Amino acid sequence: MVYKNIICPVCGGSCDDVQVNLDKENGTIDVQNACKMGSAKFKEVVSSHRLLKPTIRENGKVKDVSWDEALEMAADILVNAKKPFFFLGSETACEAQEVGLHIAEYLGGLADSNATICHGPTVMGIQESGMVGATAGQAKNRADMIVYWGVNALESMPRHMSRYGVFPRGYWTKRGRFDRTMMTVDPRVTPTAAASDLHLQLNPNTDYELLSALFTILNGKEPHPSVEEITGIPISVMKQTVEMMKESNFVAIYVGLGVSSSYGKHRNIEIALNFVKEMNNYTKCNIGALRGHCNVAGFNQLASYLYGYPFGLDFTKGYPRYNPGETTCVDLLREKDVDAAFVMCADLMDHIPADSAQYLADIPMICLDIAPCPSTTAADVVLPGVIDAMECDGTFYRLDNVPVYFEPFTDSPFTETKSNEDTLKQLFAKVKAKKEA
Amino acid sequence: MEALLNTGSTIDEGRLAKGGSKYTDDYTKECAVCWMCAEDFTSLGCPEKVAVISRDRKYSVALSTKVTEAMRSGQVFIPRSIWANVVVEPDTFSTGSPRYKGSPVFVEPTDDVILSAEELVTKMYMGGK
Amino acid sequence: MADVILKPTGNFDLTVEAEVITPDNFAGKSADEIGKLLVWQGPEELPLANFFSVEGNGGNSAEDTTIIIDGDVSRVKRIGQEMTAGKILVKGSVGMHTGSTMSGGEIVVEGDSESWAGMDMTGGSIHIKGNAKDHIGSAYRGSWEGMTGGRITIDGDAVSQIGGGLSGGEIIIGGSVKHFCGIRINGGLIYVKGNAFRTVGAEMTGGTIVIGGCIERFLPGFTMEGVESDLKFNDIECPGEYKKFTGDYAIPQKGKGTMYVSCDNNECL
Repeated sequence: MVYKNIICPVCGGSCDDVQVNLDKENGTIDVQNACKMGSAKFKEVVSSHRLLKPTIRENGKVKDVSWDEALEMAADILVNAKKPFFFLGSETACEAQEVGLHIAEYLGGLADSNATICHGPTVMGIQESGMVGATAGQAKNRADMIVYWGVNALESMPRHMSRYGVFPRGYWTKRGRFDRTMMTVDPRVTPTAAASDLHLQLNPNTDYELLSALFTILNGKEPHPSVEEITGIPISVMKQTVEMMKESNFVAIYVGLGVSSSYGKHRNIEIALNFVKEMNNYTKCNIGALRGHCNVAGFNQLASYLYGYPFGLDFTKGYPRYNPGETTCVDLLREKDVDAAFVMCADLMDHIPADSAQYLADIPMICLDIAPCPSTTAADVVLPGVIDAMECDGTFYRLDNVPVYFEPFTDSPFTETKSNEDTLKQLFAKVKAKKEA
Repeated sequence: MEALLNTGSTIDEGRLAKGGSKYTDDYTKECAVCWMCAEDFTSLGCPEKVAVISRDRKYSVALSTKVTEAMRSGQVFIPRSIWANVVVEPDTFSTGSPRYKGSPVFVEPTDDVILSAEELVTKMYMGGK
Repeated sequence: MADVILKPTGNFDLTVEAEVITPDNFAGKSADEIGKLLVWQGPEELPLANFFSVEGNGGNSAEDTTIIIDGDVSRVKRIGQEMTAGKILVKGSVGMHTGSTMSGGEIVVEGDSESWAGMDMTGGSIHIKGNAKDHIGSAYRGSWEGMTGGRITIDGDAVSQIGGGLSGGEIIIGGSVKHFCGIRINGGLIYVKGNAFRTVGAEMTGGTIVIGGCIERFLPGFTMEGVESDLKFNDIECPGEYKKFTGDYAIPQKGKGTMYVSCDNNECL
C-alpha cells in the first residue's frame, strides 16, 4: 500500500513529503523522495537485523527474556542506583522524552540528550545573547544570501539545500539557485564548499577570531592585522564578505558543529548571534542551526518548558539545576559521577570520547534501540524500540524549532508496547512500584 | 606526525548508521578511515594503515588511509563514528561538548589490525567481555 | 581562634556537595554537631561524618573559626560557598564551586581547583596554590556581571573563561591561561603573569587586563594606544614595558576596556 506525506524521522530537516510503498506480506518497502539516510532508515521497518526481543546480560552472557522480565531488571537497575543518569536520545518523539524526564525527576537523577554532544554550545550561546531566527520557509522565500558556517549540509542534512536553502524557488527568489549567493566557511573542502560561490577556508579553531574581525569591520573599525595569519583569510576578503551581506536583501546563516564544537564553543555562537543582531541594522539577517537528528531540537524545547533548562538537567536536589561541564553526559561519565545509565534512541557509546565510553560500559546500562550498535552490545538490558513516524505517532521539533506532528503508516511490531512512550510509561510504573514498596 | 583532527558526517556514514548497519564491513570501510592530504601521506611513507593517537597517548586507533584534496597539511579527518571518538579529547571546557573538531592527535604508520565497531566496543571499552 | 579539622575518610565514589562547610555554619557548634550537618551525595542527604572525621569545635563566631581540611577533596563541591568570614585551609585539591558567591573571609587551597571557584564573589580572598580549571571568578551562566569584589590568586595555570563578566576585584594568575580570559569584563583587574593562548579580553567593555607573557592569538578588535612601563594598581605591581590597547571594538557597546600586553614577549603585535 502507498502512503504519502510521511515525515522522515532521521535528521532535523523533518522532510514531510516522503512516499512509502509498504508490502507487509513480502516484507518489502519502496521509498520515494527521501535522501540516502532517510531511505536507509525506512528500510529498518522490514530489516533482518531489527531488534525484536528484549535481552539481558547475565554473568556475561546475553539471553532473550520476556518484556516483563526485561522491564523488571531495568527498573531494578534504576531503583538501586544512587545517582542514575538518563540519556534521552533524539531519534524518538517528545512524548517519550517527557516520560524519561519525569522518571529522572522522580528518582533524583540526571537527564541529558543529544544536544549535549551536538548543538549544546549553540543553545548555550543563544542563552547568552538571544537569537534572530526565522523559520525554514522564511529563508526559502526570501533569502538571497546563504552562509553555511562550519556545516557540510550536503552530507549531514542532504535535502536542506534543495528544500530550504539554495535551490528552491521561493516567492521572492523565483529563479531559485540563480537568485542566491552561497557561501561556505569550512577548514575542509567539503562537497558543500565545492558547490558554493565563495569558500572561506579558515584555519581550524579560528571561528571566533574570524567572526570578531567581521564584527569589527561591521562596526567601522580596522581589524588588527594579526588576524590574517591566525585565520588564514585576508582582511580584504573579510571586508568583501561583510559588504556582500550588507548588500543582500535577506541573509540566512546556518551554523553547524564546526562552530559549536571547535575551540570557543558557545562563545563562537554567541558572537555570531551578536553579529547577526547588528547586521540587522543594514539588512534582514538571521541565523539557525542545522540540527543533526530528527528531534534533537525537541528535547531542548521540552526540557526548557518543563524544567527551565534546555539540556544537562540535574534533579539530585529535587529541583532542576543546569551547569554544562558538570551536569552533562560526557563530563558525568568522565568524572565517574553517576552509577547507572538509561540510554534511549541514541547510540551513546559510539559518540562519546573513550574515557566516558569506558565508564559507561562499566556501569549497569539499559539501552532502548532499534538495531544492534555498540550501545546495545555494552548494555545489561536491551529494550527493543518502536520507530517513530513509521510505527507510532508523536511530535518532533524541526531544525527551526517548528513542532511537527507525525502519523504512522504501520503498527508497532510488538504486542507488548505501542510506542517508546508506552514502554517508558510501563517502566515508570515498575520504578514507582519498587520505590514505594 | 602531529595533526588537528576534524570529525564529521559523510553521506554514507549517515546512510549506514541510520540503516542500522553499524556492524557491517561497509560501515568499517566507510568510517575507519583517516583522510589526509597527499603531502602528509607521503611524509608518513605512504602507509596503508595509520594509528591515530590521542594527545596524552592514552588511546590509539588503527585506520586505513585515504588521500584527498579536501584536506590541508597538518589536518586529518575521520568520519563521525566510534573510531574517531576513541581519540577525540574528552575535556569539554565546561560546555558538555567534547572537542569533535580540532583535537590535537598524533598520526603514525602502523600494522595493527583495524577493529570492527563491535570488536572495538568489546575489546577497548568492555575489557574483552 | 578555634580550629576545626576535617579529615576525608572515604565514600567519595560519587561527588559530594558540601555547601555546609563554611565557618558561618561551623561557628558555635561542637565537633559532634558539625559531624551531623548534612551534605548531598546524589539525591541523598547524609551526615558530614560519613565522609570526614571531625576534630575540634567551632569558634564563637565565623571570624573566630578556621576550618582545616586535611586531605584531597577534589570530589567535594561547594566548599566555602556563601561564606562571610573566617578561614578555610585545604591541604589538597578542591572540587567545583569552591568559595562561590562568598562575601568575606579567606580560602587557601594548597592543591588544584576545579572549575567555578569564586563565582560571583563579592569580597574576601581565595588563594589557589596549584592550577585551576574554567570559569574561576566568573559570572553565573547567562549573567553579565560576575565577581564584584575580593581577590583570587592562582599560583599555577588556569584554563578557560577566567573572570568572565568581572565587575570588580582582582584576579592574579601566576601561570598561563588558555581561552577567553576576561571575556565580557566591565571592571576590575586581571593580571596574568604567564602566556595567554587566545581571545583575551573578548567583548570587554571596561576594566583592565595585564598579560605579562605572550598572547599567541591576538583579537582583531583591539587598537594600540601607546606604551607604558612599570604599572601599578594599588598594591599590585606589574614590572616591565607594556603596549596599551583598548577594545573590544568588535562589539558595538560604548564602554571599552584596557589591555596591557608585555612588549618583550609580543614583538609582533
